[in-house]
Amino acid sequence: MKKKIALAGNPNVGKSTLFNTLTGTRQHVGNWPGKTVEKKSGRIDYKGKKIDLVDLPGTYSLTAYSEEEIIARNYIVENEPDLVVQILDATNLERNLYLTTQLIELGCNVILAVNFVKEAKKKGIIIDKKKLSELLDVPVVMIEANEMENIVDLMHMVNKRLKNKKIPRKISYGKEIDEHVCDVREKICEYIPAENPDWTAIKLLENDDEVIRQNKNRKGFMELWDFVSKQRMHLEKVFGEDIITIIAKARYGFIEGLTNEVISKQEKEAKTLSEKIDYLATHKYFGIPLFLLFMFITFYVSFFLAAPLTDGFEFIVGFLQEQASFLLNSLNASSWIVSLVSEAVIGGVGSVLVFVPNIFVLFFFISFMEDSGYMARAAYVMDRLMHKIGLHGKSFIPMILGFGCNVPAIMATRSLDSKKDRILTILINPFMSCSARLPVYVLFAGAFFPKSQAVVIFLIYLLGIAVAVISGFVFHKILFKGISTPLVMELPPYRMPTLTGLLIHMWERGKSFIRKAGTIIFLIVVVIWFLANIPYGVEYASRQSLIGWIGDMISPVFEPLGFGNWQSSVALIFGVVAKEVVIGTFGTVFDVGEQGLSAVLQNMFTPLSAAAFMVFVLLYIPCISTIATIKKETGSWRWTFFVLGYTTIVAWLFSFIVYQGGLLLGFV
Amino acid sequence: MKIPLSEVKKGETVKVNCVSCGFGLIKRLSSLGLYNGSDIKVIKNDSRGPLILKVLNSKIAIGRGQARKIIVEK
Repeated sequence: MKKKIALAGNPNVGKSTLFNTLTGTRQHVGNWPGKTVEKKSGRIDYKGKKIDLVDLPGTYSLTAYSEEEIIARNYIVENEPDLVVQILDATNLERNLYLTTQLIELGCNVILAVNFVKEAKKKGIIIDKKKLSELLDVPVVMIEANEMENIVDLMHMVNKRLKNKKIPRKISYGKEIDEHVCDVREKICEYIPAENPDWTAIKLLENDDEVIRQNKNRKGFMELWDFVSKQRMHLEKVFGEDIITIIAKARYGFIEGLTNEVISKQEKEAKTLSEKIDYLATHKYFGIPLFLLFMFITFYVSFFLAAPLTDGFEFIVGFLQEQASFLLNSLNASSWIVSLVSEAVIGGVGSVLVFVPNIFVLFFFISFMEDSGYMARAAYVMDRLMHKIGLHGKSFIPMILGFGCNVPAIMATRSLDSKKDRILTILINPFMSCSARLPVYVLFAGAFFPKSQAVVIFLIYLLGIAVAVISGFVFHKILFKGISTPLVMELPPYRMPTLTGLLIHMWERGKSFIRKAGTIIFLIVVVIWFLANIPYGVEYASRQSLIGWIGDMISPVFEPLGFGNWQSSVALIFGVVAKEVVIGTFGTVFDVGEQGLSAVLQNMFTPLSAAAFMVFVLLYIPCISTIATIKKETGSWRWTFFVLGYTTIVAWLFSFIVYQGGLLLGFV
Repeated sequence: MKIPLSEVKKGETVKVNCVSCGFGLIKRLSSLGLYNGSDIKVIKNDSRGPLILKVLNSKIAIGRGQARKIIVEK
């Protein structure tokens, strides 16, 4: 039988780095069954043996506080992994050990992988590995997850522990608590035989909703519960505190005793670079400008740095188009096949693919913000602003992720603690301009505002944030009156992310863009190509074709916005499938490469109507994947339709204001 | 002297005396190392917006509303 290992740990301790190091490319990303929490699993090949590795959600604890914690512990209880590897942050061992104590309570076969040992040393923290291992009765390996250091040692230990399973000895929380736990344990064995009576005893004493829920329908539970409640009341009376605090204190008491023996600290209170950066990044006045500057650099770089790469892609697309026509013609293929391949497939899909460099650079920067620890600071400085719309700073993180793609961004709202926060954050998320919309801006800004492309694009993004915030404010006042939920968020230490780590994250996020180009966008451009060729004998993509007719039907709606041409209407309609399709449609119906596309567009739009068009693309109906995600995450068709209607109206109004307002001000 | 955490000035270290919020939040805070009897240092407190605390060896941002519900001893 294949062995199973679970990887546990606090957030921000290098867990995903270790996971990537151990599994390489043999990973599978999905969801935990019935949950919206991402599940990563992979395979380790060690000396010819195949071992399954499951990445548990990052948690500080195994209480039933959040969905992540419940998933992590239910996995351990139900799937009984052969081994649990916990990764710990050497610079903050005390807090990390809090999770360890609970893994030991659960009776896991545990190995501790202590990460960031060098960083800890620099801070004057020296850990006695041998003593730690002895006192906890758990093997300890010191590693540097991002430098591959001692990974061999870790795997050696893993292998050893897989062969000889060993459950660490129980932790003593002092006589009083130990006795109560022991009494409850005996009653559990008597009333509801549980797999794991020690753990169940502590959890029932702790009043743990999830364990109560799992057991309450069993015969004998009521009698047991009476007994447990009495024991709990007795403990609370003796200690004069609530049970959660009593047990937490007992665990920290144990940890303190442990770390006193294991850690030697030479206080180095000098202001570290991290402190200096934080002073600015969280500053009352400089914090927000610094964040805006960072965002500006992000867009500037993803625009200009990627430009030569984009040119290269364009060249390849054009070359392929020529070669394909040449080849097909030389094979005497009928003209419609030549047209399908060179116009629809290469022209349409190609016009989308040329933006791969821009999008990947953007994802690179977003990954940098997350992996370096800056994201939490951005959330912190935005907290005050977010409060105005009834949310707190944590909701700002899904908003930034929306710059990459709204689908994972909306999924990321699950880290928010209240349902109201989640729904409100989801509702405003589509206004955060995703990377699929970037090609539209790059193309239009390049064609119409060549001197100030980056500024124009940055303004579009800012408009997206502004509309999101204004909408949030309105929703907060009208739909969700009431108190906002608590903010408690760790600001992880700044760490320079490794290039490999960033590249992996960039790839994980960006690859769906390429996959989409090969699947759904391919399909849509072929459909558009067909529509542009019927009825039979019609001139390709002319007004008389079916697609021209469809466009003509709708275009009056867009007339007041300055883009009443039928091609834009068609592009916008098909753009609901995926926003890149807007460009793909232009690429297909005009049958020109991207370079030629700007020239054609210059004949159809004025700078003002181009601006109105960009604003419309920014704000209108989210793409189908986003709509589906909104439905899944809110669990409500009502909210989903609300988003559809609201975004359409808002997009039309803003676009109208830009165009008509611009005309009044004398722009063209 | 017992005061709410929200009143503590930057740079001061205090002992938590009483956390009077829901059990959910008590759980979260204790798993981060903030519980009755623990020592915490206030790193940042700009009279508006969230505070930044040093709890154990990590930095925690906490909303002002919550900070008002945590009573500490100087």
